[in-house]
Formats: sequence, C-alpha cells, structure tokens
Amino acid sequence: MRYRRRGLDIVSHGLLILALIAFCLPVWLAITAATHDQASLYTGTAPLWFGEQGLDNFRAVLTEPVSRLGTDASRLLFNSTVMALGIACGKIVIAILAAYAIVFFRFPLRRLCFWLIFITLMLPVEVRIMPTYKVAADLGLLNSYVGLILPLIASATATFLFRQFYLTVPPELLEAARVDGAGPWRFLKDILLPLSTTNIAALFVIMFLYGWNQYLWPLLITTEADHMTIVVSLKRLLSSADNLVPWQTVMATALLAMLPPVAVIVLMQRYFVKGLVDAEK
Amino acid sequence: MATLRLDALSKTYPNGFTALHGVDLEIADGELIVVVGPSGCGKSTLLRMLAGLESISDGELAIDGRRVNDLEPAERDIAMVFQNYALYPHMSVADNMGYALKNRGVPKAERRRKVEETARLIGLEDLLDRRPKQLSGGQRQRVAMGRAIVREPKVFLFDEPLSNLDAKLRVQMRIEIRRLQKRLGVTSVYVTHDQVEAMTLADRLVVMNGGRIEQVGTPMHLYERPATRFVAGFIGSPAMNFLDARRSGDVLTLPCGTQLASPWPGEAGETRDTPVCLGIRPEHLAIVPEGQNGGGTLAVRVELVEPLGADTLVHARLDGQDDLVVARIDGIQPVAEGDSLILRPDTDRLHIFDPDSGQRLDDLEPACHTPTSPA
Amino acid sequence: MATFQHHRITPWLLLSPQLAIVAMFFFWPAAQAMLQAFYVEDPFGLGRTFVAFENFARVLASAEYYRALGITVAFSAGVALGAMALALLLAVLADRVIKGATAYRTLLVWPYAVAPAVAGVLWGFMLDPELGLISAWLGALGIDWNHQLNGGQAMALVVMASIWKQMSYNFVFFLAGLQAIPRSLLEAAAIDGAGPWRRFWTITFPLLSPTSFFLLVMNSVYAFFETFGTIDATTAGGPGGATRTLVYKVFEDGFIGYDLGSSAAQSVLLMGLVGLLTLLQFRYLERKVQY
Repeated sequence: MRYRRRGLDIVSHGLLILALIAFCLPVWLAITAATHDQASLYTGTAPLWFGEQGLDNFRAVLTEPVSRLGTDASRLLFNSTVMALGIACGKIVIAILAAYAIVFFRFPLRRLCFWLIFITLMLPVEVRIMPTYKVAADLGLLNSYVGLILPLIASATATFLFRQFYLTVPPELLEAARVDGAGPWRFLKDILLPLSTTNIAALFVIMFLYGWNQYLWPLLITTEADHMTIVVSLKRLLSSADNLVPWQTVMATALLAMLPPVAVIVLMQRYFVKGLVDAEK
Repeated sequence: MATLRLDALSKTYPNGFTALHGVDLEIADGELIVVVGPSGCGKSTLLRMLAGLESISDGELAIDGRRVNDLEPAERDIAMVFQNYALYPHMSVADNMGYALKNRGVPKAERRRKVEETARLIGLEDLLDRRPKQLSGGQRQRVAMGRAIVREPKVFLFDEPLSNLDAKLRVQMRIEIRRLQKRLGVTSVYVTHDQVEAMTLADRLVVMNGGRIEQVGTPMHLYERPATRFVAGFIGSPAMNFLDARRSGDVLTLPCGTQLASPWPGEAGETRDTPVCLGIRPEHLAIVPEGQNGGGTLAVRVELVEPLGADTLVHARLDGQDDLVVARIDGIQPVAEGDSLILRPDTDRLHIFDPDSGQRLDDLEPACHTPTSPA
Repeated sequence: MATFQHHRITPWLLLSPQLAIVAMFFFWPAAQAMLQAFYVEDPFGLGRTFVAFENFARVLASAEYYRALGITVAFSAGVALGAMALALLLAVLADRVIKGATAYRTLLVWPYAVAPAVAGVLWGFMLDPELGLISAWLGALGIDWNHQLNGGQAMALVVMASIWKQMSYNFVFFLAGLQAIPRSLLEAAAIDGAGPWRRFWTITFPLLSPTSFFLLVMNSVYAFFETFGTIDATTAGGPGGATRTLVYKVFEDGFIGYDLGSSAAQSVLLMGLVGLLTLLQFRYLERKVQY
C-alpha cells in the first residue's frame, strides 16, 4: 500500500516489542525469584537471572505443606480446578437450557422470566456479598465445593450470550426440524448443540478464567485449608510469615496459580477472542 | 397421495392483524396448485398454516378428509421445501435427507437405501457425503427437494423454492420440479410471487390479494377470463392495459372518441350510460397499416420503444388516459419514439370490469379458446 | 421468530435450574441486603431493631464513606483511562504492522488470564521496598518507594497492577474494532492528503467510539469489583485507608467490623451505582443497534 511509511513500521514494531518486554517483566521476575532460596534472594534486589534451586521450590510447594497453610499447593490447585470446572460447566449447562427456553418457546410469564434472569447481569457477587454469605452459611455450604461453585453460577452472563447466539439461528432451521418430526429435545440435541460448539468453547474459556480467578467469594466461604483455592492462598502466604516474606515460595505458588488459566487462554485463544467480541454485541 | 380441503381458513395474529380472511379451496389428489400474489397477500401464511408452522385461527384444514388443525407439522405427513432451503449446516447431505426418517425410527439400513434411491432420482449420488456449505445454490436446492421426496409424504409444500437461484438455473429447476411432481404424483402446493413460474408450473392457479382468494383456475383460464381487475393485472406480462371508458348498451366509448363493440351488453333493457374499466392485453393490440384506418381503432403517439428481439413493446400516449398504453408488436416492425400509430384492439378479447369493485362484468366462461380442465 | 408453541411444561423444565439458583443466590440475598439495610443488629446477633433510614444516614454522613467514594472514583478513572489509552496505542501499532498483528495479540492477551490477586502479588514483588527491582530503580532516581507507608504510592501500585491485567482485554477489543474499519476509508483519506496522525484522529478514532464506550463501562465495572483481589493481596485497603474502595469498605465493615446494617446500606447504595452504570450500558447497546 502506497500510503504506508516504512519508518513508522519499524517504530511500531519497536514500541510493541518494548511493551511486550514490559508486560513480561513481572512474570520473568517471578520465575527467577522462584528459582532462588531465601538467603540468596535477600542479598540485594530481586535477581534478573535464575538461581540454584531449579524447580526445587515448585516441587516443595506441590508436595509439602506450604508455610502455615497446613496444605500443599497440589491440593490448592485441585480445589481451584474443581471450582473453575464446576463454574464453567455448571454455567454453560444451565445457560444453554435457560436460553433455549427463552428464545425457542412461547409461554406465559416468559418476559418476567427473562427479566428475572437478566437483571442478575447488573449486580456482581461482590455487591451482595454479605447476605449471599449468610445464605450459603445457613445452607451449610461453608467449606464445600458446592458452596464455592453454586452461588457464582447465579449470574446470567452465559445465558445472555447463548440467547444472543440463538437469536442468530435462522428460524427456518427450527421449522424444517419440526416438519422433520423433531421435538424440543431432539432439536436441541441434533441441531442446536452441534451448531453451538464454537460458542460453548468460547464460553468455557471465559467462565473457566472467571471461576479460577475468583477471590472474594472463596476467601469468605473457605475457612479451612482443605477447600482453599490457590489464588486465595497467596494472601495467607504473604501475611503468615514471621518477618521476612518467603518470596521464592510465594512466587512459585503464584506461578502455579497462573499456569492453568494462561495455558487455557493461549491454547484456546481463537475461541476466547470470538467469545469476548461476540459478547459485546 | 392425498386430497386437501381448506374450509374458511382464517388467520388473525394476537396483535389483531388478520392475514387470511376465510380461504376455501379443494385440492385434488396429485394436483399441483400454485398460490401466487404480491408480497403480503397472505400466501406464505397460508402455506405455513398447511404445514402446521402457524396455528389456524378459524376454519378447518383436512388432509384426506381428516381434520389436522391441531396436529404438529410432523404428524401431518407433509414435506416442505424452504425458500432458503433450511439445510442443517452441520449434517452431510445424506444425514440432511435422512433426518426425518431417523426421527420416525426408520432403521439405519432402510434409511440409507431410501436416501440413495432418492439421490439417484434427482442426481445427487456423488454429493451424499458433502456438507451444505460445500454445495452450489442449485445443488442445495436439489438437496432440499430430496429431503422432501425421501419421506414419501402425502403433500409437498414449496415456499418460493427457486427465488434464490439465478435466472437460468431457475428455468431448469422449474422444469425439473414439474417433471418430478408429475412422476411422483404427490399433491403439491407451491407458493411464489413469480407469475411466469406460476403459469408454467400450475395445474391450477390460486391468485391471492389482501388475505383473500381472488380467483382459482387453470393458468389459461385466468389469462383468458380474469375474474377481477386485480387478477387481470397480475397475470400476464407486460401487464394488461386498463382504459377508462363508458358503456351504453353494447357500445363502449373511450374519452378519445373511439367506439368499440362491448363484449357485455348489460342487463336486459338497460340503456343507461355507465363508466367501466376496459382491459386490453398488450398482445391484443395490433398496428393498423397506414391508410386502412377504419372504426374501432386507437390513435396514439409513441413515447418509448423496448425491443425484446422477437417482440417489441411500444409505450404510447392515448388521449384521455392517465397511463401509457402498452402494445406488444412484432419485433421487425419499425417503430420510433415520436411516431403516430393506429392500434386496433382484438374485440373478441376485451375485458370489462366494474370500475369500483373491480369485478369482471362479462361472462366468466370464455366463448372461445377454452382450455380443457386439468387431467 | 419460530418457536415451539404447544409445550407447556418443557420451557419450565428448561428454566428451572437457572431460576432456582438465581432465586436462591441472587434474589434472596439481594432482598436480605435490602431488608438488612433498614435494621441494626445487636453485636451478638441475637436480635435486630428496625431503624428505617438510619443506616443510610449514618453511611452518608460519614467522612470515611466519602473518602472511599473519592478513592474509588480516582482508582477507577486511573485504571480505566490508563488501561484503555495503553491498549489503544498498542492496538493501533499492532494494526499498522499487519504482519504479526495476531502474533502480538497472542503475546499480549495472556495477562487477562491472570487472577487480579496474582497480578497484585507480582507487582507487589516488583515494587517491594526491600527486594523490588523497580523500587530499586526508583530509589536510584531519588524516589523513596514504600507503598506500605505511602498512601499515594500504594494507590499507584494497585492502579498499575490493575492496568497490567486489564490492558489485554481492551487490546483484544480495540484490535478487533480497528480491523473492522474498512481499509478503503483510510486509503481514501490518504488520497485526500491526510497523514497518519490526521487519519487516526479524524477517521479511526471516531469509528472506534462505540468500542471505546463499551470498554469504558466494562473497565469501570472491573475497577469497581474485580480489583478487590488486587487490593486485598497487596495493600489490604491501606495504608491508613488510602486504597479502601467502596467494595473494600463493604467487606471491611461487614466481615471485620461486623457492622451488618451499615455494610448492607452500603451494598444497597452500590447496587444503585452499578444499576446506573448498567443503564448507561443498555442505552449504549440500544444506540449501537441503530448503527
């Protein structure tokens, strides 16, 4: 293209690479710190290069109880995985069904149901945290996976996205299916679900990240270490130390906490981007 | 094979809009009925009511004498070809065609046999494993047809199935649909807004307007004896010329002074001079060679000439008329814009309508050129 | 829209899981919050007294609340504008180079996957007064960095960590928005003699305005709620309440101070605020439909 300028291209690449380095710096420092022992860490400023420990710190947090948490990071990772998968799958299943009812059926009170569900988009769990906690406590859900998962499924983001997608399905497909003798469940199973696979993948990524990265709710609902998530554990690690913060342990744990969601987003980037950008519409 | 009976079929939407005002129609076994009309005339609604995709507000629909008003589409034993084909995008051609059979619980082997048989019939054998996305428009159309045929339904319903194809393919598919329908002998209802499609396909034509049936009959009958001014204007291309005229007894007088013999003399003994609407098809106007001017001719001035090759359309101004008069003349006659011409209407083929109600005033049964009723 | 009409029970079956969960964990708690806001609970949780609007009056009369409001506004504005400006700059650059735009996206998108709390911990380490690399650099420049003591610096820390995480989200949207702008428009402008700078401000930027507005709303919501983890893991609202946002205050008053009535009243006020934001977003959505 003639209106492009070569000099600007080079400047653009330069600035982008600079930004990349700046964005990677916190993680790089975390990696290098996690390969040192506490003594070598506290000899000056944070090291820019790897230390002697290799993967020892990671091995340690994964197998031995971390500081005063009373549990190892394997358990924390497992808890986070259960929570993230539970939220992602739960939301998707519930949302598929609810959006299906709202888009493809006409029944009394449909509009009311629509509003009851979509008003939840307005208020994230943080706003109604106290009473939600009380309800969960009354139901005996403290320190349980159900307690970690169920209340966070209450928001309707996924339902909203599925509704948006269903509205783009040509109405003739439903008509053809009806003429072909498919009832509601068959239409859902044979036609709608196969057509939604990309959307389901996209939502899975978004909801997995949402679930994995939750902080306030798991912080409140888990008082014992055996149901604590890895993201929440970091704060305990930081404050449980006697005097010096064991940064090598904290960083090893932080990196473990980052790894699954970052892997998901990088591997499923295509779906994630589609899911996000579609969500805007 | 089946007969259909529509008895005062009506459709009123919850918002109060009435799309159909009591439609009556009997459809014989194996007949191909084409429903035609401008958009919004209710033809698609009618078809969707036959399919069971729209509920019936009032009246009765019977297939083979059995009331089906409240049956689901699948229970009516009908098949439908949609305007945009509505193929399932994630299924192969074979799966698309076999889906209805699968839902009916037909065993896999039999399903496969039937799909292959149908595919051979319509030339899809080599495409059975493809996805709809990998097919051309014409091929998709064929799959949609195949999906309808494979089920061996009592009735085929076609919803403007050719409107998404290009002109050449449309002619080809039109012939093929006609051939298949005759061969399979399945009662069919075909909705279109294309009057050429309607004329060429139909055993009988149903012309609709404003949620009502204007006229039912063979294509030639509708062409020869349109029951209303609307049908007269809708069937035939270019459209019929409508001229203001006055009738007194069996004499028609045009504002330009020309007098023509009226095909309808009026009620016996009635002599009053009344306004009528005179209809003349463009092909029933002929140029009178110079010097042969006698009575019953129209003197016009040419404003536009459209040569079509075999024919030429001449748009000309006639004194006392708001609209231009169109004449279809032999293509080799030299006519230029600005020329003055004398046109002679074929007095055997005049149509007169009531200017207010639009109803035909003369006999509905044609005196000559009678087409035989469908076989 | 084509629909199934003759099914009475199926839609309710389909809806029941969602409705049950929403009722149990949304409407019931929200109603509780509303109710609670009008009561004062005695310290032992044995009984409560109806006090009408007293909780609200108390909250709205407290200087602490307005301080938290101010902090929230400053924090949100900093995060939203910072994350958006940075993302727009990088997206424009990535869009220019054409080759490699998706590669840059892959390399820049991952911070979105990092939990806010983890982002806080990573930045807390970089700016640690003792060990931090950046704090050491700042020290060399004569800036004595200690976010555990200096409120302004604590605020800067949480803002930076929040921007770092949110930037990638904005980047994805801006890049998609930029790539949706027809090249022919920019080429026409180039033919009309507009340089790159002018092209950006007269064509690209106005065409991006729907995306920008959407992102402004999303970033505000993010800064309001999701950054709780960042704040709690780094500054815990301190020092001296310098990073205590409205949400953090709800949490502190409710779970640490056990002032349930006040916490509930604050929750209700927050709901109103968020409601306002959502309304804005819906208005925007409506406008967008008309495009």
